[in-house]
Amino acid sequence: MFRRFSRHIKEGFIGVGRHFGMAISSSASVTIALFLVGFFLVITYNLNLIAKDIEQSISLSALVDYNITSQTALDTLEKQILSIDGVKTVEFRSKDDEFTYYVEQYPDIREFNEYYRDQNPFHDAFLVGVEDGNELETVKNKIAAINGIASVHDGGSNTYLLINALEKVRIFGGVLVLALAVLAVYLIYNTISITIRARDTEIWIMKNVGAKNGYIRAPFLVEGIIIGVLGSLIPIGAMIALYLYAFNRSDGVILGVFNLVEPYPFLLYLCLALLGIGIIVGFIGSYLSVSRLLRNKR
Amino acid sequence: MIRLNKVSKKYKNGTHALYDITLNIKEGEFVYIIGATGSGKSTLIKLLDGEEVPTSGDVIVNKINVGKLKKSKVPMYRRNIGVVFQDYRLLPKKNTFENVAYAMEVIDTPTKVLRPRVREVIKMVELSDKSTSFPGQLSGGQQQRVAIARAIANKPKILIADEPTGNLDPKMSDDIISLFERINKEEGTTILIVTHDIQTVKNHPKRTIEIASGHVVRDLPEGLKDEDIPKDIEPDVYFEQTAKLRLDEEKKQEETEELKEENV
Repeated sequence: MFRRFSRHIKEGFIGVGRHFGMAISSSASVTIALFLVGFFLVITYNLNLIAKDIEQSISLSALVDYNITSQTALDTLEKQILSIDGVKTVEFRSKDDEFTYYVEQYPDIREFNEYYRDQNPFHDAFLVGVEDGNELETVKNKIAAINGIASVHDGGSNTYLLINALEKVRIFGGVLVLALAVLAVYLIYNTISITIRARDTEIWIMKNVGAKNGYIRAPFLVEGIIIGVLGSLIPIGAMIALYLYAFNRSDGVILGVFNLVEPYPFLLYLCLALLGIGIIVGFIGSYLSVSRLLRNKR
Repeated sequence: MIRLNKVSKKYKNGTHALYDITLNIKEGEFVYIIGATGSGKSTLIKLLDGEEVPTSGDVIVNKINVGKLKKSKVPMYRRNIGVVFQDYRLLPKKNTFENVAYAMEVIDTPTKVLRPRVREVIKMVELSDKSTSFPGQLSGGQQQRVAIARAIANKPKILIADEPTGNLDPKMSDDIISLFERINKEEGTTILIVTHDIQTVKNHPKRTIEIASGHVVRDLPEGLKDEDIPKDIEPDVYFEQTAKLRLDEEKKQEETEELKEENV
């Protein structure tokens, strides 16, 4: 069993060596595909983080009716809001806090504003953090339905647009990564098909002396995997170098507000993913092309 | 050993390669199958080694109905059959020893068994001094010997050779046929040689079956004799002529029988 396994591995390497030019051209195609896969994985993963940052920073402002002033009533309201599904945090801001916050926004006319503190028009309010940006609207409606809440405010329709846009970008990135993986499979499939055609005699001999299909297939699968691994090395190196450069150059922050994903362990996962995709597409590509040939011959 | 019972083969493209072939070949027999190009000889080989299945009838080899064999069982079945082709089909980057050993390696033969057997068959085909030579360094006859050594390395019960002398001069052809005779005698292998090399067939007389247009038209147990084929005619032309004659004869005979039946 071990002898056979090591033979397949050896034959796979010999196959790559014998058809080195073909293997290199195939690996190069995989390299290009995996480079794009890696690039979009980086983008998608970082967008994910940005989306999470935005979602976490989104909060609802629930204004309390003027007639509710007792601490017990406010505590009850807080509990009611906290019990709603999707609510992560509830922070109480008294009308006085709100007024102070307002005054601090306009330091030039601080004294003028302070003059009106006794006639404070602000409401007591609860600042509500939600778990998921997609649930913002549902949570908002549920809070608004609570007796004692005058109104609920959010960041406006732009908040929803941004969340939707980020969601679409993430889906698009995912689809693109998948499409590129399929493209890589196709490229390997084509190259292995050509290699197989070039090795028709070998396959013919194996079939004629009674080698089983699994035995015939194995060295080609090893070859496909080697091509996949070779094809993933350059993208892995390039992704590490480029990401570290971009991260260090920007101090891990883009557009002044959004954090980039920390290189460790992100880059480790990214490299493993690229290597894994390389191995899988190499395997699938060669499996499909050998199977097509073996299916045609009884 | 080999029994074909009313075997017909029609390909998907409509070509009717064989019609109602019935044949019996005993274990250890040496048989030539002769006929013109396109007569159905190659189809017969494909049916015997399990590459094709008959449209009707049974192909029985070693008590196995080859046509009904499951696809997964074909590799094990093939281990009992060695095939040699006109174009040798050697691996150019492997030397003589490696080319022969390859046939044994791919069916997982242990090294202990493999090495002595490879040496033995290389000796049998008289190429011991060419063990490390690559196909490009060998003559056509020597390459065919390597192909034969590879075909018999796994001790098949049947050895089928498709035009094994097609690319060789008469002297080399004679040597190759002598080699088959020796394998037949020493290893007890049943030998089937498909050829239209008439001279070689005459030089080494053995049972000869002639196929024409998918029909068995002659089965000569004593082999082809000088009087069976005129000297001043190309074998292919002769095959076509005799095939036509024999088919016409068969047709006439059938018509006569039909008439007789009608009269009765």
